[in-house]
Amino acid sequence: MSESAPATSPARVALATVAPEPRTGGWHAFARFVGRRPAFLAGLVIVGLTVFLAAVGPYIGPYPTETALPGDPLQPPSLRHPFGTDVSNMDIFSRVIAAPRIDLTIALVSTGIAFVFGVLLGVISGFFGGERGLARYASEGIMRAADIVQAFPVFIFALALVGFRGPGAVNVIAALAFLNIPFFLRITRGAVLQVRERPFIEAARCAGNSEWRIAFFHVLPNALTPPVANISPTIGFSILLTSGLSFVGAGVPVPTPEWGSMIAIGAPNMMTGQWWTALFPGIALGVSILGYALVGDGLKEFLDPTKRV
Amino acid sequence: MRFARYIARRLLLLPVQLLLVSLIVFFLVRQMPGEPTFLYTGPFATKERVEEVRRQLGLDQPIHVQYARYIERVVRGDFGMSLRTSQPVMTDVRQRLPATMELILYAVVFSVLIGVPLGVYTAIRKRGLINRAVFLYGMLAGALPDFWFALIAIFLFFFHLGLLPGPIGRIDLMVSTPETITGMYTVDALMTANWAALLSSASHLFLPVLTLVFIYMPLVLKNARSAMEDMLGSEFVVYARAAGLPRIMQWRYALRNAMPPVITVTGILAWFLLGGAVLVETVFAWGGLGQYAVQSVVNSDYAALQGVVLLSAVFTMLVFLVVDLAYFVVDPRIK
Repeated sequence: MSESAPATSPARVALATVAPEPRTGGWHAFARFVGRRPAFLAGLVIVGLTVFLAAVGPYIGPYPTETALPGDPLQPPSLRHPFGTDVSNMDIFSRVIAAPRIDLTIALVSTGIAFVFGVLLGVISGFFGGERGLARYASEGIMRAADIVQAFPVFIFALALVGFRGPGAVNVIAALAFLNIPFFLRITRGAVLQVRERPFIEAARCAGNSEWRIAFFHVLPNALTPPVANISPTIGFSILLTSGLSFVGAGVPVPTPEWGSMIAIGAPNMMTGQWWTALFPGIALGVSILGYALVGDGLKEFLDPTKRV
Repeated sequence: MRFARYIARRLLLLPVQLLLVSLIVFFLVRQMPGEPTFLYTGPFATKERVEEVRRQLGLDQPIHVQYARYIERVVRGDFGMSLRTSQPVMTDVRQRLPATMELILYAVVFSVLIGVPLGVYTAIRKRGLINRAVFLYGMLAGALPDFWFALIAIFLFFFHLGLLPGPIGRIDLMVSTPETITGMYTVDALMTANWAALLSSASHLFLPVLTLVFIYMPLVLKNARSAMEDMLGSEFVVYARAAGLPRIMQWRYALRNAMPPVITVTGILAWFLLGGAVLVETVFAWGGLGQYAVQSVVNSDYAALQGVVLLSAVFTMLVFLVVDLAYFVVDPRIK
């Protein structure tokens, strides 16, 4: 997406005509880069906010997050309840800001696991692809296995994994990690196929490094950019899947504050006009996913110097 | 000639893929915690009774024998009995498949009808309000949960404006369903000239299709835009321009050559929609395969779940097979 907004940005035109990029430390370069991209900055703020809420969200809300309050249920938004209350009179605002605790934890852990396994398998399949003997079969086998896992529609497969293992955060993490491994695998493999042809790999081989050492100490570090840039959007996608699973009752069980299950609780009320019950958790969900996507776009551009003007 | 050989190879590969898919599903089912026979005997069965059921289900056999028997049954189209509906899973699926197909069909058709022109337009006119709006929409739609969008649409069009029916399924309760030919209500109603049923089922289709198109159309749009951009910058279009051909001709050449990637993404869209339909069907009580999958998860109806997962993978493979074959039709270079 970032490629489609080229010379139109005045900041970039100015940069291209006025000053070449000064070469200083990484953080300064990053700060300057962010300063010129409001969308990236917005994404970083959103991501920072979700991380902050994941840490302290459950403690800073004005009301308890898992207990019904006394009084009438389904109160519309007011000063006392900025997002209103739900059908069992729980405060929606307190629950919305508490939800990143579970949503983000699931997304971070599952993405982390998928990243580690995906990158390792990607290096093996990419580096040893096209060789002779056993290594070649390993490489082919990994790719065919990835094909098969990706033959299932993502949400149905996630639903089935959780369905057979039973609902709960741990099983959602396992399902998402499993589903995302082929994704990181393919991205890493693509990068490895390019890196392994570069002269410094030949040099490392001449210097007497073993093939495995070349694969993991020379190729891997130089092939990390594409998978790293895709961590952030994958976190966003995982949050979306988690909320979808919880929405149909196959994810995080109620009453744990979680955006998808909150939308599910509010769903019947939407038909009878209590719009606040599902609106606010959904906005929080959409904004978070958008934030992680924006950070992913920005990082992709930052980490790939050829795309920078 | 090469076309025939290619098709033959793809068709030969299909059973191999299906076998591997079934292997995954087979082991997926074995992720299930606890003693599976209790589903049939209840938790207080005697040891002898449990042993008997284990023998009946073939669970006392070694794993490869179990797998062989499982494949044998699946090939015959026997996916077992649903614990919830007490019907063979295959019968359940056959009843529900048309509902899902109808939803996906309209969503794909409208996504292509709207997404491709919009993508081509934004590739040709790189500036202006429409381009900006389309860019923002593309970014936003990718971040919105479909089930939430569906609920907001229901609130607006059903509760607030009262224009469309609520989420109560595929047709009004007062309208009798059209005679079954394809199982897709709108198609059947049209074929039997049943206008009341056509109107009712179309109005029920509107919101779920709107939701799916709004959320998943950008996939087609972005793809069509980037394919068209690539083609407009390609040598043959530059040559056409240099030769003084009118712009409309240049666009036509570019469009023709931008079609193969768009066809691929249409296949991917159908694959995505099968997953997306699960949530949207649940919201609209659609009674299709997606809702069946959810109900089988919630009710621990493992035979049903297993059948749906396997069939959804088969569906995916067929879609991608059709996509690959469609390539030959639009791209003469492959011949």
